[in-house]
Amino acid sequence: MEKDEFEKKLFQMTKPEIDQLKHQDMLADAIANSKDKTVLSLWWLIIPLYCIIMFLMKSLFMPSATLSSSIHDLIAKQRFLAYLFFLISPLIFILINIISIRKVYILSGSPKSLNFLRTVWLNVFIIIFSIFILIVYSL
Amino acid sequence: MAEIELLNRIKSNPAEFSELFNLYYKPIFGYILRRTGNFDEAADITADTFFKAFQHIKTFSYKGISIKVWLYRIATNELNIYLRQRKKYNSIFDKLDIKDKDLFADYISDDKKEYESELQKHDQFLSVLKGLKTLPIKYQEVISLKYFEGKDNKEIAEILLIKEGTLKSLLSRGLEKLREKCNQI
Repeated sequence: MEKDEFEKKLFQMTKPEIDQLKHQDMLADAIANSKDKTVLSLWWLIIPLYCIIMFLMKSLFMPSATLSSSIHDLIAKQRFLAYLFFLISPLIFILINIISIRKVYILSGSPKSLNFLRTVWLNVFIIIFSIFILIVYSL
Repeated sequence: MAEIELLNRIKSNPAEFSELFNLYYKPIFGYILRRTGNFDEAADITADTFFKAFQHIKTFSYKGISIKVWLYRIATNELNIYLRQRKKYNSIFDKLDIKDKDLFADYISDDKKEYESELQKHDQFLSVLKGLKTLPIKYQEVISLKYFEGKDNKEIAEILLIKEGTLKSLLSRGLEKLREKCNQI
């Protein structure tokens, strides 16, 4: 069969059609009444709390240490950990968040910049913070 | 214009989402069904598509694409996720709070019987679908949207976020590969 003939056959062949779906209304209700439980995930509470406690402890026990001096201190003492924290982790965070922003962009159609920023502000913040860590580490 | 009004109503009252559901559930369900050829898979993926749409409707704005294109885009995305991670895919029905689960299961079962008898009437489609499923996903999606759903190139390019030139070459190569597969079947 030639390509054109095959294409014509694809257009003309009958395809299964959906006439009526009994389950449709019940599903519509269930979705319209659902709540996004992931928004209330425990991680949203634990991670900021962990960061706050870390900063509190650092300001209590090491009041003179700056971020830059702490990084250089760690680089000198724990080279492997320094690579993990200040090079590999930020790169992974940047990658994950870029993928996440792209996914939100696809799912949101072509959103207005303000709506889009409102949704992805945390991802953007993490990317900027990761870039900042990479810069401080590489200096 | 009607779509913009509907969108604004949904943004202010999420319960209005059922109107959008009534408008597009059947076409999207049909699209996924004609891609998978399996009722259970189609029911799951379509429900997931509308669940995602419901979660992201607030960030959707009417700039560039219509709601219909947007829903087809989510559906295609969900289909691709499903086809790549078939074993890891979790059913959305477990996450939803369906009021009368037994009645819902009965309705699903009735719809499935209806669809299976409909499917048996289309032997030629089934043999083409069998060949199509052996092709890479990038060819499956363009061929399905063009020849099963009857979409024009502009709309397909919008759904898949690709250029029309890329689409034409994908369609040409995909069609050739599908023709070879169908000749073998």
